Amino acid sequence: MATNPGKLLQSSRRDFLKGTAAVATILIAPGIFLYKTGQAAAGLEREARWGMLIDTNALSEADVDACVSACQREHGWQTAEGSRTDAQWVRKLRLEEPETGHQKFLPMMCQHCESPPCVDVCPTGASFKRADGIVLVDRHTCIGCRYCMMACPYKARSFIHENLKDQLPVAPRGKGTVESCTMCVHRVDRDGADAVPACAEAVNRNDSKAILFGNLNDPQSEISRRLRELGGTRLRADMGLNPGVRYQGL
Amino acid sequence: MPMLKSKLRFAMLVCVLGLLPGAPGAAEQARSQFGNIAIPDPAKPLSADKCVEPVEIMRRDHMEFLLHQRDETVIDGERGSKYSLVGCMNCHNPAGADGKVVRYEDPQHFCAECHAYASVRIDCFECHADRGLLQSQQGRLDMHAPAWKASAAVPPTSTLQRRLGTVDGD
Repeated sequence: MATNPGKLLQSSRRDFLKGTAAVATILIAPGIFLYKTGQAAAGLEREARWGMLIDTNALSEADVDACVSACQREHGWQTAEGSRTDAQWVRKLRLEEPETGHQKFLPMMCQHCESPPCVDVCPTGASFKRADGIVLVDRHTCIGCRYCMMACPYKARSFIHENLKDQLPVAPRGKGTVESCTMCVHRVDRDGADAVPACAEAVNRNDSKAILFGNLNDPQSEISRRLRELGGTRLRADMGLNPGVRYQGL
Repeated sequence: MPMLKSKLRFAMLVCVLGLLPGAPGAAEQARSQFGNIAIPDPAKPLSADKCVEPVEIMRRDHMEFLLHQRDETVIDGERGSKYSLVGCMNCHNPAGADGKVVRYEDPQHFCAECHAYASVRIDCFECHADRGLLQSQQGRLDMHAPAWKASAAVPPTSTLQRRLGTVDGD
């Protein structure tokens, strides 16, 4: 890790920005600021586009189940057996070739499109794409109309029908709003390019990276390198949405 | 919403006038003016010496701070803001060692005390956690811990109980 100068440079730049923001705030009286720079500038890497590369050859059915339960633990959602309306940030898909009976399993979640249909249809602007490419629902402005659920070709979003209790501090969620995979945005904001989403953490063992998170805009990143060398499939590429989640082995 | 805000402002002003330390006379006055309704005296933070802003400012403007920073967090990914709601809850309503905490429905919850008094219903806690990070999460999810309290230890449960008046103490 220490041999990667790019990463070192990046983290010191982040720290520098944070430090500058604190110093540049001038207090003239309690609560009244003459000049204040927002600390927000340090939060998100605007030049990045985060994506995930999922190698389905390396994923067994148990692995995909592990992805789903890791996401449930991380964000505190559950799906009752057989429910068609419960929360579903990520789900297990089974692909079977009828002729040979060969089966493949893959995790299916928000594909974090470059041109997301959910954002196009949202009447309040609650469904939005962050500058770094992560597609989210701002639950403060979501009115629960569910247009985005209908617009999403990947069926990636779900709606909360009932009052919830004991939500986790990192994953606020409540009745009357739509939700979906956030690419573990709280980890991304903390760790940047080194972030490991919960699903990836659950299946990556001994250096194998069945689910690889990284910056698609950085040609030097591992995800860009692997995409360049081995290729990756965009699901329903014909729709031209350019998802940030790519699959190998399909 | 503006009406609620002005109501809240008024209530907070009453709090400020009534609860300034060293002004017991003012407190008595406010109490008699509003009959027998006890003026809230929310539990003080446990794990930090002071709040992110002076108390008078927090009483008046905490909702503005939270509204402002929520967009910074959701849209711009700023997680280290000193006005983070998780930061508030970590300090004002921390989870005990056994994971037991006061819930928002409970009148002793730090936020609920004044909000019930001022008759202002908030819906923050329909989605957000009404408690601080559990101790087991503190290390793993430390991006919410503000720098100014990074070294502060989580107080023992007995302190929490004493503050809430569930056991006798000072």
